Amino acid sequence: MKNIVTIFRKEFYRVMSDRRLIFTAILLPGLAIYIMYTFIGSAIGGEIEDITQHKMIIYTENLPTEVQNYIYTQEINPEYHIYDSAEHDELEEMILNGEVDMLIRFEETFEDDIDNLIVTGIQIYSNPGEKYSEYTYNVITNALHSYANVIGIERYGDAYYSFDMSSEIIMDEEKAAGQNFAMLLPMLIVMFLFSGAMSIGPDSIAGEKERGTIATLLVTPVKRSEIAIGKVLSLTVISMMSATSSFIGIMFSLPNLMQGAGDNLDVFIYGAWDILMLFSVLLATVFVIVGLVAALSAYAKSIKEASMLIMPFYFISMALGISTMFSGEASSELWVYFMPIYSSVNLIIAILTFDLSLTAYLITISTSLIYVAIFVYILTKLFQSEKVMFSK
Amino acid sequence: MNTLEVKNIKKTFKLSKKQQKIEKTDIKLKIAVNDLSFTAFPGEIYGLLGPNGAGKTTCLRAISTLIKPDEGDILVGGSSVVTDSFEVRKKIGFLTSELKLEDHFTPNYLYTYFSRLHNVEEDVIEERKKVLFERFGIEEFKEVKVGDLSTGMKQKTSIAISLVHNPEYIVFDEPTNGLDVLTARSVTDYLVELKESGKTVILSTHILSVVEKLCDRVGIIINGKMKISDTLENVKKTNSNNDLEEIFFNLVKEDELAGGGF
Repeated sequence: MKNIVTIFRKEFYRVMSDRRLIFTAILLPGLAIYIMYTFIGSAIGGEIEDITQHKMIIYTENLPTEVQNYIYTQEINPEYHIYDSAEHDELEEMILNGEVDMLIRFEETFEDDIDNLIVTGIQIYSNPGEKYSEYTYNVITNALHSYANVIGIERYGDAYYSFDMSSEIIMDEEKAAGQNFAMLLPMLIVMFLFSGAMSIGPDSIAGEKERGTIATLLVTPVKRSEIAIGKVLSLTVISMMSATSSFIGIMFSLPNLMQGAGDNLDVFIYGAWDILMLFSVLLATVFVIVGLVAALSAYAKSIKEASMLIMPFYFISMALGISTMFSGEASSELWVYFMPIYSSVNLIIAILTFDLSLTAYLITISTSLIYVAIFVYILTKLFQSEKVMFSK
Repeated sequence: MNTLEVKNIKKTFKLSKKQQKIEKTDIKLKIAVNDLSFTAFPGEIYGLLGPNGAGKTTCLRAISTLIKPDEGDILVGGSSVVTDSFEVRKKIGFLTSELKLEDHFTPNYLYTYFSRLHNVEEDVIEERKKVLFERFGIEEFKEVKVGDLSTGMKQKTSIAISLVHNPEYIVFDEPTNGLDVLTARSVTDYLVELKESGKTVILSTHILSVVEKLCDRVGIIINGKMKISDTLENVKKTNSNNDLEEIFFNLVKEDELAGGGF
């Protein structure tokens, strides 16, 4: 036990006393996520603002004053140009190039046709490949549909058949908000935990082999299992710190990322108990991930080889995270909770959606501990193997 | 019981294709040491001599429990490297260029770290550290990271760290490598002191003058086999000129004439 503490302290001090490592393994993940998500969010927000602020350029033929006024009442204020049929081809070219957003041609007899109950045609030219043109098309066609409704109501009064829809939303707001988290977070959490372990695991074990410092440790009277446990524990703590940093980064950047659409993403819907449960699942998961990373790093001859060996497992874990992204619901099948990492992903969803089953929780935690025990056993065996430790 | 006894050890390594290329051979198995035996006694320095690749380091690695012999055994104060490697590690202090120190840490930190792993009491750690650091002039650079130390400074630190637990059995592989004449002298003087205090010392070196000056017993390994193992006096007697260098060259030549194999 004393040796485990000695090794743990040394491994922990190794990272904590190295400014470069503190920055790259602990601070950078959170900072990078915050900057990245804020940047993506403001880019998306900026794009939306850009489109809505854009002055629509519309060429019109026979635009009826009534229609123009109606569009104006809808707070749509485009720049109108008069269509000249002689320049039709050039105009189409300009729509194609995005210089003009739309051409709208009304029948000369548009207003008379309406009065005489004749179906009248409106011909619209637009380019869905251009963002301004696509937006103009949507806004103008919506306005025209609603103008048609207005005519119907004016003409027939109550006899005009229209739906009077009203909707009542019946939902558990917390659960709905939780669902948003459940869709976003599991994949990100698994990704952060993995990248935290990957940033230091290979260096701590494969790096020691590569640099020849592991032999110095192996000639001391320390049980190989103590070396394995000491290393796994320190890697776990540092990975958790790295994941926490990422977590803080994402929590702060979510409002920026969602740009208003994220009103439902209020982390304060979760109480201390939920956070505690989430933390225990994260800890169990990080143990499994660190165990795996440590065993692969011990097997590899170099840091580079260790990173290569870990990569496929990283992708599989991410795929497991993504697989639940669209349902946002935890699996009710019990066997799922026996699968490493996949069980954690489902359990994280269950906690975030306030749908936690005690059985699933207990199975996940206990199987994770069994998996980490297996990895520690493998790691111990690898430390005992002269072939693995000293192969060049 | 207080002896270090190497008993008929054999160790073979599988050669990778890369290694086969380097060694220009098709043989997949390389016998590094073959039926090697010798005994080192307390209060004596046993000198292990041999050309590069003769199997000295393999033998020392087996003593230090880093590798296990395929056949035979090594008893360190009665503890077997095969069945009780944990006990062996408690008893020996091992130094070889293969054991590196982590660049990030200072000699001071590493000394304490390895002392704790050897279960040395905290007050003894500080006491012994003071003595060894003064002895090898580590005091002045004890707070400098290993990565910033010169080769000689690193070697001195490694020597001090190999002795943190005041071991009864000391196995040093080329301890004066990378050291200037003065420091090399302080190391060899220290080895004599260790011997005089009753420790069992095994010294592997290719510097024959060191062997002649320090060793009580000598073993010459050539091509994985122990060609001669006796007191320095008796070994020297095998040559009319009492010249250790000549004896060494004659044995190498003999082996070459015999085909150099096993």
